[in-house]
Amino acid sequence: MTKHSILIVDDTQANLRFLFSTLIKQGYQVYSAINGKVAVKVAQKNLPSLILLDIMMPEMDGYEVCEHMKADEQTRNIPVIFVSALNETFDKVKAFSVGGVDYVTKPFQMEEVLARVATHLALRDMQKKLVAQNVQLQEEITERKQAENNLQKTLENLRSTQSQLIQSEKLAALGQLIAGIAHEINTPLGAIRASIDNLLDSFNDAIMTLPQLSQSIVENDKHLKLLFTLLKKSKASTDLTSKEKRILKRTLQQKLSNENIAEISTLVNILTYMKISEGFDELLPLLKNEQSISIIKAARNFVSMRKNSDNINLAVDKASKVIFALRKFAHQDASGEKTEIDIIDSIETVLTLYHNQIKQGVEVVKYCQSLPPVLCYADEIHQVWTNIIHNALQAMTLSGTLTIEVIHSENQIIVSFTDTGCGMSSAIKERIFEPFFTTKRRGEGSGIGLDIVKRIVDKHQGKIEIESEIGKGTTFRVFLDDMR
Amino acid sequence: MLDRPKLGSNAPALEPEKYCHRYKKTMSNKAILCVDDEFIILETLVEQLEKKLGNKYIYETAETAEEGLEVLEELINDNVDILIIVSDWLMPGMKGDEFLTKVYQQFPDIVTVMLTGQADEESIVHAKNSANLHACLFKPWSEEELIRTIKSGLEKL
Repeated sequence: MTKHSILIVDDTQANLRFLFSTLIKQGYQVYSAINGKVAVKVAQKNLPSLILLDIMMPEMDGYEVCEHMKADEQTRNIPVIFVSALNETFDKVKAFSVGGVDYVTKPFQMEEVLARVATHLALRDMQKKLVAQNVQLQEEITERKQAENNLQKTLENLRSTQSQLIQSEKLAALGQLIAGIAHEINTPLGAIRASIDNLLDSFNDAIMTLPQLSQSIVENDKHLKLLFTLLKKSKASTDLTSKEKRILKRTLQQKLSNENIAEISTLVNILTYMKISEGFDELLPLLKNEQSISIIKAARNFVSMRKNSDNINLAVDKASKVIFALRKFAHQDASGEKTEIDIIDSIETVLTLYHNQIKQGVEVVKYCQSLPPVLCYADEIHQVWTNIIHNALQAMTLSGTLTIEVIHSENQIIVSFTDTGCGMSSAIKERIFEPFFTTKRRGEGSGIGLDIVKRIVDKHQGKIEIESEIGKGTTFRVFLDDMR
Repeated sequence: MLDRPKLGSNAPALEPEKYCHRYKKTMSNKAILCVDDEFIILETLVEQLEKKLGNKYIYETAETAEEGLEVLEELINDNVDILIIVSDWLMPGMKGDEFLTKVYQQFPDIVTVMLTGQADEESIVHAKNSANLHACLFKPWSEEELIRTIKSGLEKL
């Protein structure tokens, strides 16, 4: 601690000298002033720790000096102890009101003076310390506020990173689906392109053979009957599996082989193509005619045009179903508001996207009660089903049964997914919702899928439960309020 | 011209079924097998082959690889030669590359072609190495490409 300095002010040289020597001995640094004016100047210049101020002085008395001190920002806090002679008239009240902290009387009892000086210096030190601490506290508060702001910003960043992570998890799931979806789209596209080729060829052939056809119809009305019978039977026929087609072909071959009919192999092929499986006997007499083969070929062209058009329609339906599901899945609801959705429909959307994986060996069994529309964040709910279904398919290595049950009871919607996969130990089960916990190989899963599922369910004030047994399978059960 | 064989007086009388069997042989005993789990693909594919390649071949279809193997066995029992198999890759159960590999191991003369909607490099390479894959066509395929591939495959025989 630095040495304390004391300014002594007195118009009597003897007093000054006595005080000076006494205080120096005590280890203080001492300044002295012989009158008020000098005192003010010395105080301003040296900023002493304390002032011992005589009251009765010519020109400027002690009160006035004190007032000067208190008026100056720099010297205002220096404690002033008044010194007064016992015989002087002394106004204690005034001494305090002008800013003095204490007083002593002459002749001095030096112990008393030193004690008071020491006390006020200590007080002053304490005060200074307090001010300094206060300043430090203020600084700390500012710093803390800054840190809090930074934390807030970090938290905001984290939140946006989290939502980016959720989004990227969704995109990753989408990416895994894309390859399969390419197949789902390219298959109908292939069928469409081939159907159009077939349709055009049949159309061209029909046009080319039109004169011949009209002539044979004009010549013999049995030909027209044959044409329409074939078209009618073909239209009424049902779809045949590959196996059924083979059986039909064999049957036709057997039946025709005993008949004396031209171009039997062509005939069998065309009749199989037209799926003429019933009422063949009534056709037989009509077939026994030189020209009937050209009528049958004409019928084949017409059937081909219808069949290929039907195939195009089927293919378009198939492709649009996939695209529709994809669009629903990839849809990002920017409004951030809940919308009413059909829970079963949203599960179906995800199943459509996973169709190509499911069909590889998973049987999906659905038990669904009809549900009221549910208010929720639609694309987030899609993500819940996606993650659960994806995990189920992986747990079963694409072979087994996935049972989906949707129950509506007591204002709650319970959706459960049960797979017949590998199941998991209770140790894994306990950690399954932890972020970045994964049992999958590196690169196969981010480990945040189920964490996201849990967050989304929590966001809907819902609940998610899991039951699992090693070797038997796992059930995920999602509880949602049906609040509207 | 009649497809039916002329029955000479010294031709032995045949049971209808056996007769049918013989008869079929005279029609055609060369087959092309198409395997795909989508019947719209099978229907359109076979129609394309039939109209471009005509009655020279029997066109058979199967909706799974497992059924494909069954058909293969049936045809062989009927003394039909399977020349080419065109198979999808992504099907329920056995995948195309595995199926064609099995076929190749048993019948190395059959020309194998894959027709897929999904360019799965690994399984194409697998089929090339272990099923002697003649070609891989991608959906949506063009008719011209399909016929050219089948014809070039037939030329290899």
